[in-house]
Amino acid sequence: MNDHQMERYEAELRRAKPAPPPESFMERLRASKLDPEPARPHQSTAAPARAKASWLRWLAPAMAAAVVVATVARVATRPSSQHPVASNDPPISALAYGLNADGVRVDQELVSSYDVVAELPGGEPVRFRCRKWKDKWVVTDTNRGVEIEEDSPRIEVMPVRLETY
Amino acid sequence: MNSGSINELPSDADWEQWLARHAPALLLFARQQASSEADAQDLVQEAVVESWRRQSQGGPPPLALVYATVRRRAIDLARQDERRAQRETAAHLEAPSCWFDRGVDQGERGLVIQKAMGKLPEIYRDVITLKIWSGLTFREIGEALEIPANTAASRYRYGVAELRKLTREVFA
Repeated sequence: MNDHQMERYEAELRRAKPAPPPESFMERLRASKLDPEPARPHQSTAAPARAKASWLRWLAPAMAAAVVVATVARVATRPSSQHPVASNDPPISALAYGLNADGVRVDQELVSSYDVVAELPGGEPVRFRCRKWKDKWVVTDTNRGVEIEEDSPRIEVMPVRLETY
Repeated sequence: MNSGSINELPSDADWEQWLARHAPALLLFARQQASSEADAQDLVQEAVVESWRRQSQGGPPPLALVYATVRRRAIDLARQDERRAQRETAAHLEAPSCWFDRGVDQGERGLVIQKAMGKLPEIYRDVITLKIWSGLTFREIGEALEIPANTAASRYRYGVAELRKLTREVFA
């Protein structure tokens, strides 16, 4: 195919326009206009990435601690009927919190998703797919008419080897 | 486009203008990468938001970056769902939706091109899509696909030649 034929054929291809996106999708895109969040410059060099990745070492213990705290809190706020008590005294959880939660709702919201490139001690590059979530818990005590909301951030990190690209 | 300051957000007008201009081609590219229409739309939305957010000056992101993000997210998605093999085969044989406008005189042309594109190897299809319908330069295509610009150019020539063979019945 010579240059002239090539140009003619390219012009033919360009006459086919990409299909217009569905209006519902465009509405979704327009609505996803950015939240005011600090911009993250894209970094691909290993040194800054190492600094960035250093906090990842703390992630596992922090997540484990968060799970323990959440479990303890959940057990403590469980209705007293689930805790057989020998005496007639109110359960410790009720004394401590003054609540008898009869409804717990947990929501998750994806806040952001981004990549971090780092280097393993052996020099092998690795990419981390990071997702920031907002977990929201709502605990309700209908007898007292109390509703407690709590938000907590959570970061999910998934390593992806660059060599697979 | 407004002159940007640190973390400045795009105005509604800028945002909508940019989307109206680039969303069709981005969705075309995403449809070729994804195994379903829903996945394609999610890929575009995620890539657009993420790419804009990376811009410290508040301006629009380089198109090559947006396309690169669509592609990386598609790979991640395929890996997560163990659908990579499907993405490379079934997705293109069984197209999730119509890729091209079905306006007057365009319906047949679009279907023929879509069918032929589905038969092309992915390395050619990506380059042709980014060059013809997204209007990227070979340097930008190289950045989007993480290949040298010269490789993008040679793949383009081979790919267009193959596509022409496949569409010879319609485009004499």
